Amino acid sequence: METVERVSWDAEASGPQIALVDLLDRLLGSGVVLAGDVVISLAGVDLVQVKLHALITSVRAEMATEGRVL
Amino acid sequence: MTEGHRLLPQRLETDAESVERDLFKLVLTVIELVRQLMEKQALRRVDEGDLTDEQVEGLGLGLMHLEEAMEELKGRYGLTAADLNIDLGPLGPLLSE
Amino acid sequence: MAEQGRYLYAIARGLDPATVEGVRGLDGAPVETVDHRGLIALVSTVDLAEYGEEGLRRNLEDLTWLEKVARGHDTVIHAVAGAAVTAPLRLATICLDDDGVRARLDEWHDALETALDRVQGRAEWAVKAYARTGPSEQAPAEVADDQGTPGKGAGLAYLQRKKGQAHQQAQSQERAMQVAEQVHEALAARCVASRRLAPQDPRLTGHEGAMTLNGAYLVDEAEGDAFAAAVQELAETYPDAHLTLAGPWPPYSFASLDQS
Repeated sequence: METVERVSWDAEASGPQIALVDLLDRLLGSGVVLAGDVVISLAGVDLVQVKLHALITSVRAEMATEGRVL
Repeated sequence: MTEGHRLLPQRLETDAESVERDLFKLVLTVIELVRQLMEKQALRRVDEGDLTDEQVEGLGLGLMHLEEAMEELKGRYGLTAADLNIDLGPLGPLLSE
Repeated sequence: MAEQGRYLYAIARGLDPATVEGVRGLDGAPVETVDHRGLIALVSTVDLAEYGEEGLRRNLEDLTWLEKVARGHDTVIHAVAGAAVTAPLRLATICLDDDGVRARLDEWHDALETALDRVQGRAEWAVKAYARTGPSEQAPAEVADDQGTPGKGAGLAYLQRKKGQAHQQAQSQERAMQVAEQVHEALAARCVASRRLAPQDPRLTGHEGAMTLNGAYLVDEAEGDAFAAAVQELAETYPDAHLTLAGPWPPYSFASLDQS
């Protein structure tokens, strides 16, 4: 039987806090989204930024327009 | 779905020791995404019913070999689908319709 | 001299100012109160270099900064929420000075009274549901009869298998969404107000399966245990939903003034 894990915040107890992602959901008024981007850094130097979302989006657009031709 | 608050790009910290593996993992992630999109698209085309039997068979064989190749590549670096971080589930924005 | 402003954490009613004695806000600044027409703003002084328009634009993209501010903000909320009815504000509500704070209190007066009435004697509970863990590792393609050479129609067979898997996955996703809907409706019926928040990114939650329900529920303080019991019951009815429950929290999601 599944037991629901109950996490509560109690000023007295030093129990688990509200998860940061939950706090941010509420304090920012909208969810937090990780952009699908990666900055590649070598030996502490930022070198390249890869925008995965843009890359995949453009692939999909191309597929849509060329869909009739295989 | 309203667009949430976007955070700046995540950093892939690498060094001379791990750079090959890290970059490989990134490249495989992208390839796997493309492969899955290709499969989805192929299934759609097959469903549409305007392909010859030959074309369907060719598509299927090609995708099958592609999947095998991906498994081999993943195996070589000990990477699982979870490692490639592409299992975004039903709400994954990258693979949404 | 660095320009400073007032950071607003929350608005309270019937709060004894002594409650905030010794309470520290962001960057260690003391929390103070600004009174106006029966409503009390909880504030502390902040540097506008960091919290002004320019600073915010920069800092809101920085997860480390966000964490510091969210935690600091939450600490102040919790310090007062037990002592008096409190409407937490969103992150980074800044006024130039206390006159500015009073002007806001004036402008928002009616909406604030409504919000405070709504949350008085109530707490927020958060319930989440998840789909089963993400698409499982796909079984590698099976080689047909001959050794190494795919048999005739192997391509078609592969596509059919993939189609079957896709169909199963779509069905299981749809089922998960339906369950989430049912859980939400069941809980919404047991509370004063409810909201569905956007699902959280698995990379932030660390949970493998996609989140299907990110629910916030406003529950009378006396009904807390009954609500928790109801969630437990739903967890037993829908074990695949991996329900989690958290609370009681200050009513973050129900004190909104729809501030821009």
